[in-house]
Amino acid sequence: MSDKMTGVANTVEAVTGNIPSKKSRISKSKVSSAIITAFLIIGCFTILFPLYMTIIIAFKSPAEMTNDIGGALSFPQSFSFDNFAEAIRVTDFWHSLANSVIITGASIVLSIIIHSMAGYAIGRNMKRKKSFRLIYFYIVSGMFVPFAILMMPLVKQTAILGLDNMFGVIILYTVFYMPMNVMLYSGYMKNIPLAMEEAADIDGASAWRTYWTIIFPMMKPMHATVAVLTALGTWNDVMTPLVIMSGSENTTLPLAQLNFQTQFGTNYNLAFASYLLALLPIVILYLICQKQIIGGVANGAVKG
Amino acid sequence: MKSKKVLSRRMTFILMLAPALILFIVFNTIPLITGTMYSFTNYKGYGSFEFVGLRNYIDLFSDTRVWNSYLFTFKYAIVGTLLVNVISLVLAMGLNSKIKMKNTLRGVYFLPNVLGGLVVGYIFSFIFTYIIPAVGSALNIGFLENSILASEEYAWIGVLVVGVWQSVAMNTIIYISGLQTIPGDIYEAGMIDGVTPWQKFRHLTLPMLMPFVTTNLVLSTKNMLMVFDQIMALTKGGPAQSTESISYLIYKNGMDGGQFGFQSANAVMFFVVIVAISIFQMVITNKKEEQL
Amino acid sequence: MRKGKVAISLVAAAILTSTLLSGCSADSSQQGVTTVTMLQYKPEAVKAFEKIEKLFNDTHDDIQLKIESPNEAMTVLKTRLIREDYPDIVGIGGDMNYSNFLDADLFEDISDIEIIDTINPAYSKMEKELELIPKEGVYALPYAANAAGILYNKDMFEQNGWVIPETWSEFISLCDKIKASGTNPLYLGYKDTWTCLAPWNALAVGLAPSDVCSNVNAGKTTFAAEYPEVAEKIKVLLDYAEPNPYAYSYNDACTAFARGQSAMYPIGSYAVPQILSVNPDMNIDSFTFPANENEEDNVLNSGIDLHFSVMKNTKNKEAVYEVLRFLFKDETVQIYLDEQGGIPCKQGDFELSKFLNGMEKYIREGRMSDYQDHHYPSEMSVDAMIQTYLMDKSDNAAELFLERFDKEWVRYNRDLIARVQKYEEEHK
Repeated sequence: MSDKMTGVANTVEAVTGNIPSKKSRISKSKVSSAIITAFLIIGCFTILFPLYMTIIIAFKSPAEMTNDIGGALSFPQSFSFDNFAEAIRVTDFWHSLANSVIITGASIVLSIIIHSMAGYAIGRNMKRKKSFRLIYFYIVSGMFVPFAILMMPLVKQTAILGLDNMFGVIILYTVFYMPMNVMLYSGYMKNIPLAMEEAADIDGASAWRTYWTIIFPMMKPMHATVAVLTALGTWNDVMTPLVIMSGSENTTLPLAQLNFQTQFGTNYNLAFASYLLALLPIVILYLICQKQIIGGVANGAVKG
Repeated sequence: MKSKKVLSRRMTFILMLAPALILFIVFNTIPLITGTMYSFTNYKGYGSFEFVGLRNYIDLFSDTRVWNSYLFTFKYAIVGTLLVNVISLVLAMGLNSKIKMKNTLRGVYFLPNVLGGLVVGYIFSFIFTYIIPAVGSALNIGFLENSILASEEYAWIGVLVVGVWQSVAMNTIIYISGLQTIPGDIYEAGMIDGVTPWQKFRHLTLPMLMPFVTTNLVLSTKNMLMVFDQIMALTKGGPAQSTESISYLIYKNGMDGGQFGFQSANAVMFFVVIVAISIFQMVITNKKEEQL
Repeated sequence: MRKGKVAISLVAAAILTSTLLSGCSADSSQQGVTTVTMLQYKPEAVKAFEKIEKLFNDTHDDIQLKIESPNEAMTVLKTRLIREDYPDIVGIGGDMNYSNFLDADLFEDISDIEIIDTINPAYSKMEKELELIPKEGVYALPYAANAAGILYNKDMFEQNGWVIPETWSEFISLCDKIKASGTNPLYLGYKDTWTCLAPWNALAVGLAPSDVCSNVNAGKTTFAAEYPEVAEKIKVLLDYAEPNPYAYSYNDACTAFARGQSAMYPIGSYAVPQILSVNPDMNIDSFTFPANENEEDNVLNSGIDLHFSVMKNTKNKEAVYEVLRFLFKDETVQIYLDEQGGIPCKQGDFELSKFLNGMEKYIREGRMSDYQDHHYPSEMSVDAMIQTYLMDKSDNAAELFLERFDKEWVRYNRDLIARVQKYEEEHK
């Protein structure tokens, strides 16, 4: 930390003597913000164009599918919501949606609680204690275990433990995203100064209490980040629910979406309509979370 | 009194770590050990099997398909990691600056990561197969006239474009949350003195962001090395087996095919290789972090 | 502190709900009723099987039939095997997966069921050939088959007066004629490597013996000796297809053919629904791939799309047999055919799908042979090897390809080859 401060001080020193007027600074920042906005909007086209294709395909009927560019980019004959209605029916949408929401939601909550504690414990002790450093590398290395090698043993293990159901999938997600989340949380601890805990310590609060009252709320931006990233990984995942709960009657949205693909044919129109429907909840989650990511710490207690 | 408190503090840390550690051992380490055991067998995934000693591991070294998949995967991961990190850092700074339509733009840049494989596969195949060649022949640009996905030499670039396009979202989110940890007053101090943007970035932003750069490098390296979805969606390993990644091979031949034992050996070797690389990477970036 | 509590209660709520939801599916089996579960791997046939299931349960009081048609059924089946949660009957395809399951000793010998005598012998023979090591007994009852060769645009053929070719040279001259008229003779979707196998199989059944793979395993021949003509002819097709077929997927090719961008499409009858979804009014028919110079040497490429096997540890063999007898009643078979199309494996006077008109003669005469790739181990990725070979423009490409075929075959099958040769030793 002191190193960084010296760096800042040096920079500040190096450039003093060139103090522009306040007015020109403001107009300059306006211009640069306009330029940045322009670039970002241009960049958006690489996303909006594929999205446009997705949307129009979702409205077309299979007979409107062509393999020439004009046909593929043209508007559908009518903007009727028949495909969406049919997709809702075929996927048993509300039921599958509820299952997906439960799985993703519970995985997020469990991850935030379990991983943040672990990340905190590791982040605070890693520098001094070798055992915590070892545990850190042990957990983080789990990130690189190919799922394919775990799959069959996990199928057997979850069946033995009676976890071949949604609860098992939730537990597995909590384990799968543990390496990434623990890494994120313990990395974040580097930027939360010890001073806060030391002050609470002097006041006589237990470490457990200090964590929940002071540290946990301060990690809010990271909670939001973890929530988004865990949701990204779990929401569209087909493989885990497929192999773990294939015996049960419950289905998740991505599992139900397999209905549109058979060995020798795919109904892209219904599938795309269904994908668009499935997109909405997670985009909403992201929009909620990003408010938490932004302006958590910066406005909070951490300053210097 | 004091010693009791220190003890309980340590106990608290251990208790906080315990749930994660127990879950991790039960649902990651134990199945990994079981899986590793299968790598010494000719198990197909069902039925009976025999132990074959080190045969699978010896085979790995003589299997050109495995070698090619390592070459492809590492080529892809190195270029991909660099691209993803540069683009998402730039994006994060852009999206974090004072601009108009910030929320809309942030929402849009998040989308690629949530589009399912079927959508991505169809749309980008269409773009590569029909749209880009049409643009290429309209403008008379020779190398664009044929679908890049049909080219044995360049198909990997097509997969890479989509891979980067999709993973930028995740790394951008992490960079944004990292940028949030930088207290605003440091910038204000810099602003007064009219530091150039590059100096500001190099001496203020980057040092503070370094823990997040490390995290992002590890995560994106991991994601790129494990490339699977984009291959399933775009090329299925083709053309002429030029885009078979390690994960693709492990999955396709281990799960769909009857090579479970052999591909388990492949997975174990892959795991060891990546852990070695990432430890190396972390040591390097940790040193950088300290230097800055 | 409060936050933590909120979070914990959220988790508790989620867990509770999920256990409640999964608890809903508890079975309520009545006394005296035997439940027979069947897992079949064609989710597209779910409607046919729902009908069959209902009809069965309406007519049987003592047996409850439960048919599952999950997506990704092969993965589901494999995970159920790991969990030792076996169905009683499985309906899968007659391919390498079946061979491996059979080899793993998962299936019951059902040679005592009388239905066997009603099966088309051509398909019974195919079933026998799917045994990696010859095995006493019967382990699968073929139900429905599909066929591959050439699909053609009937209207286009009629308008131009093109005639269905019966020999290889007739086929080539027809292709030349179509090409000269400005239409693509063929459309190929080689971006999806598996589509390379369609013409490959259709040529191979006519040009190589049906038991070539087991003969290679027994050390009696090599692929380099059996496949040169197949390799040569499949490359000729490229001259009559759209440029750069490796850019276009199966779906692209179906769309192109449906839109009249080619007169013919070398693929199987299974592609018809996808083509019709793009162009519902299209007049499609099919013919056997004329691989030979002599019409009599041509063989239709037809393989078992669905057959039923009984799992080894089933407890209710009697009830299972009752289900099988019901499935093979003429009415039931017709229900399946009406919904799903395809070729019945049972002998009898069934109504064939009109898209198979051109192949009917071969089907009636039983001049059929299985897809050769049903004998290739999927991890060897022969489809990708064929694509690699087709893209290879060097002069000795065919030699290199066949050499690689033999080499890789030995590498992927060595355990099997050792066992086959041991078996051959013992049964001389």
